[in-house]
Amino acid sequence: MNLVLLFLLLGLGAGGVYALLGLGLVLKYRATQVIDFAHASVAMFSAYVFVNLRSTGRLELPWILLPHEIPIASAGIDVLPALAITLVYGTLLGYVLFLVVYRPLLRAAPLTKVCASVGVMLGLEAIAVLNFGTTSLATGPVLPSVPIRIASVAFPSDRLVLLGIVVAAALALLALYRFTRFGLATRASAENETGAALIGISPTAIATRNWVIASAFAALSGILITPISSLDPTSYTLFVVPALGAALVGRFASFPWTAGAGIALGIFQSEVTLLQAQVPWMPRQGLGDGVPFLLILIAMTVSARRLGVRGDPGTMRNPSLGRPTRPLATSIVCLVLGLIVLVALQGSFRAAFISSLITTCICLSLVLLTGFVGQVSLAQMSFVGFSAFVLSQLGAIAGLPFPIPALLAALTAVPLGVLIGLPALRVRGVSLAVVTLAVAAAMDALVFSNAAFSGGLGGRTIGSPTFFGIDLGIAQGHDYPRVIFGVVVLVVVVLVGYGVARLRTSSTGRVLVAIRSNERAAAFVGVDVARMKLFAFALSSFIAGLAGSLLAYDQGTVSSASFATFTSLTVLAIAYVAGIGRIAGAVIAGLMFASDGLFVSFLDAWLHIGQYQQIVAGVALAFTAIQNQNGVAAELAGEKGLALRIARLRDRILPVRWFGGAAPAPLRTRSTSDVTRTAAAEPAVAVKEEAGARNP
Amino acid sequence: MTRLLEVDRLRVTYGAVVAVNDVSLAVDSGEVLGLIGPNGAGKSSFIDGLTGGIRRGGSVRFEGASLDGLPPHKVSRRGLVRTFQSVELFGDLTVEENLRLAADRPTGFDLLRDLVVPSRPRGLDDVRWAAAVCGLEDALDAFPSELSHGRRKLAGVARALAMRPRLVLLDEPAAGLDTEESVAFGERLRSLPANGVSALLVDHDMELVLGVCDRITVLDFGSVLATGSPAEIRADQKVIDAYLGGSRAA
Repeated sequence: MNLVLLFLLLGLGAGGVYALLGLGLVLKYRATQVIDFAHASVAMFSAYVFVNLRSTGRLELPWILLPHEIPIASAGIDVLPALAITLVYGTLLGYVLFLVVYRPLLRAAPLTKVCASVGVMLGLEAIAVLNFGTTSLATGPVLPSVPIRIASVAFPSDRLVLLGIVVAAALALLALYRFTRFGLATRASAENETGAALIGISPTAIATRNWVIASAFAALSGILITPISSLDPTSYTLFVVPALGAALVGRFASFPWTAGAGIALGIFQSEVTLLQAQVPWMPRQGLGDGVPFLLILIAMTVSARRLGVRGDPGTMRNPSLGRPTRPLATSIVCLVLGLIVLVALQGSFRAAFISSLITTCICLSLVLLTGFVGQVSLAQMSFVGFSAFVLSQLGAIAGLPFPIPALLAALTAVPLGVLIGLPALRVRGVSLAVVTLAVAAAMDALVFSNAAFSGGLGGRTIGSPTFFGIDLGIAQGHDYPRVIFGVVVLVVVVLVGYGVARLRTSSTGRVLVAIRSNERAAAFVGVDVARMKLFAFALSSFIAGLAGSLLAYDQGTVSSASFATFTSLTVLAIAYVAGIGRIAGAVIAGLMFASDGLFVSFLDAWLHIGQYQQIVAGVALAFTAIQNQNGVAAELAGEKGLALRIARLRDRILPVRWFGGAAPAPLRTRSTSDVTRTAAAEPAVAVKEEAGARNP
Repeated sequence: MTRLLEVDRLRVTYGAVVAVNDVSLAVDSGEVLGLIGPNGAGKSSFIDGLTGGIRRGGSVRFEGASLDGLPPHKVSRRGLVRTFQSVELFGDLTVEENLRLAADRPTGFDLLRDLVVPSRPRGLDDVRWAAAVCGLEDALDAFPSELSHGRRKLAGVARALAMRPRLVLLDEPAAGLDTEESVAFGERLRSLPANGVSALLVDHDMELVLGVCDRITVLDFGSVLATGSPAEIRADQKVIDAYLGGSRAA
């Protein structure tokens, strides 16, 4: 009993920090409708600033290349001045990020904001890795801590102080929002921005102030967690996941619920640690991290409303969609081009091209799910990883001729996809994004970190694919990477791309797009929305699973790090920024944005960006999100766009009468406010002509 | 004439507010029934409740079978299709695609076949007919955002008709149409029963409702105030007081 109480009190430490971070997230969301995945990154950076002030008296600045340390004292400084300086620092950092990244996006689609914040997160983490290294730092206490006793349990008093800070913060925010003009104005502008502006409230100014307060909270959280958890860039950045869980319980609106959920989460994790020590059959790993997210998932799914109401805050503005013209001809052109590139490139560039192709395949699964159907998944890499590990464990089946083991492994990802699809029947928009993130975190903790499944740190090896005695593997002796493997990957990815394009213009595609546009109206014209959503999740997870099989063959060894929660975020971000409504977007994401892809490898070889790659990627991501809110591919498909010229070239090489399908598709462009399309769908022309003939 | 729709004591509540208070009515096949009443009388809530969009009390029978407990997509597949006051077209699809979606839904096997080969167009007759009824032949290739508000409303009606319903529930289809458009729409509406489609028309355009409907039911504060032929309704003192205006009402 005493031990239970002790672990409960100890759990207040992490719980308090989750609560503080969660409060900041709620504040940011309420004021700007941004779910800021970089929130804990600001906390992480502030923690480093604080620790360095304490130990060396030097102020750490958030950049690279330029000198990043300013001595402001000859030796380490005291807690209080360091605390004050760090709070100001974190607040300023948050303010600058707001001005540069988030303010230009205030009226952007929610997913655009998510992608920009992922860019900020990647960038800050990369700067921290370069400036501070990845070694964990253990640090001294911040809050006064003396051992005190409650019911004969001795524990450090700082946990109680932390609890006090959290309660005070939640109450202060509650009072601020409820009783002051500022709070009223924030609520008003969140509800109706135009209306608020009309009565003289500046929504931007309100958003800025809230953001600054939230940034101060982030800095405070970062400082307060240093004595509890040893400091390193990645694990501190990841604190955003439990904090998001807490904010989700509070529905990104309630301060008390968020604070309570954060604290409960910390206590729960602490008690699980105790259970694991006491109960021999409990799994050693992952339970504390995994179970809370499963609980969040279930709670969210059960409590959400079934059919969306008009103007539901969960629904979101959609990026523009492409209209594939002549999928077959395009696929053939892509296949030929891909073969030429495969043969022309050598060594590491060829390997990078193959990686690009695999990323394209992953992004295609998102084009289908997020682009066409509007369902956000932040768990896509979990499907990829699951399938990759299943492939490594197929044993004798793995020796079957090539597509069979890969297809079987991909099929195992389908039930997982349907499982994640279930909350999507009730949870919508950005809330769904956070729920799927919780799934990814749970998978991470419960499945991928389970050594029996994933082979621990060493990972698992996968044999080469064979086809009736022919070795299709990426390596044979010193021959690496082999063209034949590249051809296999290329063929699979082109086939997937062809299928997704075909689907887009089919009757199924119409239904999927209709669900994205207006779920409620779709149900009233006879669409079984639940079934179609599950279909989309199943198909998307199958495609992701297929990419997982290819990835496993490509790498030879798979380890769980490749599928960590944040890889899913990155993959969604690059797919979105490249143009999530288009097949071309997936191709651009693979070739240009993938961190191990062709373009980045070229950059690395010519400019030696190497260690700066992640920073460049993060910054590029944030600014591409600001620049092209419909994605790069949409930009290319515009009036005089590159995509249009490529399509014309294709039509000259492979005339419509050879591979065109039913009717010639006239190439033309038209732009409306939010829809850009490059050509009319084929059947549309047929009907119009017939209708025209009947009405002279 | 056979009884098409039979609504028995339909009730919709939002918390403590009773929006539709035990409304009973019936629609015969081949009939156009008007449902009128002041704003807030519960007309749209009635349609929502009827089509399974929100939780409701009472029972609904359609073509002799109960619709109780059916989700919206099943209700509409039975042949009871609604339109929306706020249009709600699919903005990413052309008008033609909006109609084809309603006319031709993929079934089990199509979902996978659509990945491989171009789909066989189905239901084009229904699409053409629905477009012709609403005079949208020239707008098939446009996106909803490119149409005028009035034509968008017509596209919403056409989408419902493309499902070849037995009964179409029209929620203020003429709002936003100018007088000329409204008259033309009334004529089209009159042609529906001959095509096997009955209609329940909710609208504020009294010219349209009185001119087109066979019978009219008046709702006020969630309850039925009166039911009768257009002439009877026009003469009903209660209706005049509550809604039509006249001697006493402003």
